[in-house]
Amino acid sequence: MSATAVAGAARARTGGLRRFASQEALLAVAVIGLAVVVGFINPRFLAYRNVADILLGNAYIAIAAVGMSMVIISGNIDISVGALIGVLATLSGSLAVAGAPTIVAWLVPVALGVLVMAAQGAVVAYLRIPAIVVTLGMMSILKGGLISVTGGKWITDLPQSFHLADLNVLGVPMPVVIMALATALAALWMRYSASGRAIYATGGNAEAARLCGVNPQRTVVMVFALHGLFAGIATLVYATQLRVIQSTTPPGLELTVITASVVGGVSILGGVGTVIGSTLAAILIAEITSALVFINISPYWTDALRGGLILATVIADIVRRRRRAARGWKK
Amino acid sequence: MKSRYLLTTAAAFALAAWSSGASAAGKWDGADDLPTNPLACGAGAAETPVSKPYDGGQPTNPPNKAGKEITLVDVPKLIGIGYFNATSKGMQDAAKELGDVKVTTDGPTEAKIDEQIKFIDNYITSGVDGILFAANDPVAIAPVLKKALSKGIHVVGYDANSTPDAREWFVNQAEFNGIAKAMMDSMAKEIGEDGSFAIVTSTFTTPNQARWIAEMQAYAAKCHPKMHWLETVEAQEDNNLSFNQATTLINKYGDKLKGLFGMTSVATPASAEAVTKAGLCGKVAVVGLATPNAMKPYVHDGCVKSVVLWNPIDLGYAAVYVMRADVDGKLKPGDASVDAGKLGKLNVINGSEILLGPPFIYDKGNIDKFDF
Amino acid sequence: MTVAAQAPARKAPRWLARHETLLAVILLVALAGLGAFNERFLTIDNLLNQGRLMTEIGLIALPMTFVIITGGIDLSVGAIVGLCAIMLGYSWKTFGFPLPLAIVFSLFVGGLAGFVNGLVITRVKVPPLIMTIATLALYRGLAEGVSQAHSVRGYPEWFYFLGQGSVLGVPTQLLVLVVLVVVAGVALDRTTFGRTLYAIGSNETAARFSALNVDRAKLIVYTLSGLASALAAWVLVSRVTTTRMDMGQGYELDVIAAVVLGGTSIFGGSGTIWGTAIGLAMIQLLKNGLALTGVKGDATIVVIGAALILSVLVASSLQRRRD
Repeated sequence: MSATAVAGAARARTGGLRRFASQEALLAVAVIGLAVVVGFINPRFLAYRNVADILLGNAYIAIAAVGMSMVIISGNIDISVGALIGVLATLSGSLAVAGAPTIVAWLVPVALGVLVMAAQGAVVAYLRIPAIVVTLGMMSILKGGLISVTGGKWITDLPQSFHLADLNVLGVPMPVVIMALATALAALWMRYSASGRAIYATGGNAEAARLCGVNPQRTVVMVFALHGLFAGIATLVYATQLRVIQSTTPPGLELTVITASVVGGVSILGGVGTVIGSTLAAILIAEITSALVFINISPYWTDALRGGLILATVIADIVRRRRRAARGWKK
Repeated sequence: MKSRYLLTTAAAFALAAWSSGASAAGKWDGADDLPTNPLACGAGAAETPVSKPYDGGQPTNPPNKAGKEITLVDVPKLIGIGYFNATSKGMQDAAKELGDVKVTTDGPTEAKIDEQIKFIDNYITSGVDGILFAANDPVAIAPVLKKALSKGIHVVGYDANSTPDAREWFVNQAEFNGIAKAMMDSMAKEIGEDGSFAIVTSTFTTPNQARWIAEMQAYAAKCHPKMHWLETVEAQEDNNLSFNQATTLINKYGDKLKGLFGMTSVATPASAEAVTKAGLCGKVAVVGLATPNAMKPYVHDGCVKSVVLWNPIDLGYAAVYVMRADVDGKLKPGDASVDAGKLGKLNVINGSEILLGPPFIYDKGNIDKFDF
Repeated sequence: MTVAAQAPARKAPRWLARHETLLAVILLVALAGLGAFNERFLTIDNLLNQGRLMTEIGLIALPMTFVIITGGIDLSVGAIVGLCAIMLGYSWKTFGFPLPLAIVFSLFVGGLAGFVNGLVITRVKVPPLIMTIATLALYRGLAEGVSQAHSVRGYPEWFYFLGQGSVLGVPTQLLVLVVLVVVAGVALDRTTFGRTLYAIGSNETAARFSALNVDRAKLIVYTLSGLASALAAWVLVSRVTTTRMDMGQGYELDVIAAVVLGGTSIFGGSGTIWGTAIGLAMIQLLKNGLALTGVKGDATIVVIGAALILSVLVASSLQRRRD
């Protein structure tokens, strides 16, 4: 990879807090700024109920984006996460309806998520098939397999105890708690632990990483396994919110998750970005979706506007980074 | 650089603001602009359908399979949703009763017309005797159906029509204006003649939904002029998305919102869930089209008073019977009715449509009798 | 990357002595096998029909090969198809353009959309994956906004010739595709432009320092990608006689599957049009053959996914052994 990427990776490990803070700060500002603007136009946007609903309804995307960000930072990508969440949700619901103890219905899908993703990671790392190919193929397998097995029959009649997302921790709804915990723990681990930083190194320059004692292959498998873990946890939030589980792949979910990571500042070149960024981005995108309804934008144009805003954010991120890099070189 | 894209973002907002102003007055979002035909106001008013000359297409030199076993394929809009699982079951029931019909259901996993065309095309090549379909787009599906007809394959549609010349018969679950009347009357009964409501639909390009919304607007203008439409939102066929959109509407309008329409079997339970989660059961009415199983919890809670639909199992059942009668020559262009097994005689309306019957209302009293 | 040293050797196809040959063999074996299972599969009628149905993806797969060879990617192609389809109908119906002008206009819109992608990728240096994910959303949204969810139908008879007609028994659009496959293949193998693309994909920095106009080449391939999407939209509208804003949804993944299956490395620097053509044919015929054998849609998706992984696995491990 190019010299700038190595330098970037190095900067990531050393006091790069200020460097990273910018995209996260930009996103935080955007989240708050948008809330204020829309709040002026329609004060109901700022009502506790609405803010809570935006967070609750989209927390699963942020959680899944934590894992996706790790995958992208390591220099790979995953297109199968949407189909996987569909499968795990169906599995979870089916177990619950079949009478399994609730804890089993929660934990088995998470374990399966880790396994499936780790297997993909192994194929990517050791068989050296590009991630886009493996995950594209796996997406098809999971999607078709899910319909084949279930026939798309909806799962209703879920037991009351199944609904993890309805629980509260000290008054804070569980999805928000999980989202915050997942983000915080992942962020800390990636910043301060050796294996966490190995992800940045692998993504930045795998060869240089290897020379520094990092095992790129093992790192990739670990990253995918973690991605599976977060996808499984996201599934729990996703599946336990409503009283019906559609036994199909949620349409477009993988793209939404990847977009959250990308808008969050995770670079596809690898080696750059944080999970805090992706969580903030997921919140921002959810906020924009809600805002577009609140301010009476014609529903025919909402998707175009959202796309335009995503594009603007992404361009702003790159422009900012290039300016910083230019300044850095001047030193 | 910065100013350039700030300018474009600003321009985008201006554009959107302008266009939203343009659509504020006029037709409801999500309605199409085909001509509407609202029914008369008041209970039990159903118009006697005008009889038109037969306008369906005909297969070219179909092999004579009267009385012989036929192989059919059913290509619905998509597979994997309860509604089409139900129509498929109805078809299997009819096939078993008739004894000389084999029918397979196969279709795309997403409601995409391009995929559906490829499915139908493959079945044409593999030489089925008849094709049953529910179209994702009435015009786009026509060329491939006409190809089927030209190869002597019988074509009968159900649920979602194609252009008339592309199929022989279309089994219509209920007239668009009949559904619209049932929906609006149910809503008016629950929220009053000056209530405000919003609509949750799948996409603006789904033909049936667009027709229903257009007919609902026409009927409301005629019979419930003081009821106020707030807005329509899209939610694909996704449960979570529908839930989020319905929740956003509830939060946006607060007390102003008295009712939600769910236009698909996904949108309605999701809207009901949103109302339940917001603690507004009984304060915000939910009226919509849905399959019974998904709605049972809400109907039992009293959150939803009535679910409008028809019986999709009967719809699939009728479609197979119509196909059998067509192949046997018992149903010919110009006939006024067809014998549909346990459903009795169904009428031919609008030239080449066969009407299943009036919409069926599921409520607390009868919903437990159904399992789909 | 060590590929840089080998790049000159890979560019001049030594008569498909590699991935493509292997793929062609697998294709022939699959054809024979599926043909044995089902007599209707290997008929001229069916094969030509499959050629007709795979043209839209095929047209887009050609410049996508170029794009991926340069180390980039374009995920917005499906959205551009939708946008161009809408623009074709919209400019004809609402602007009142004569239909031929409307067609040209929609091609222009596609080229412009691709050009915007290329411009931001080369000037602002947004990575292609990120840029095209963003424009994927934007262009699809524009299609919805402009069309207001309306379809435009009722075209004159001559318009349907491209999508539904045949010339000497061969579907019109298939002829167009074949011609373009040859043009693209020759451009890649035998022109300086083609060599530039391989150089960029192998080592972009070295390419820049070799006085190759990297930015211009990239701009060209992304514009071509948009143009091909517009062309595919034209074929599609002609084939199904109407426009819809959701046209082309999911095309990007089908196109990438065909290109990658054909041996183009996702990391850039290698791949051929001939490989893409074989990959395209393989996926289409596999889907068709399975369907004719009675395998239902959901199971077919599973098989295609597995086949994709397996073929890439087999081809790349055999290639590594040969290296």
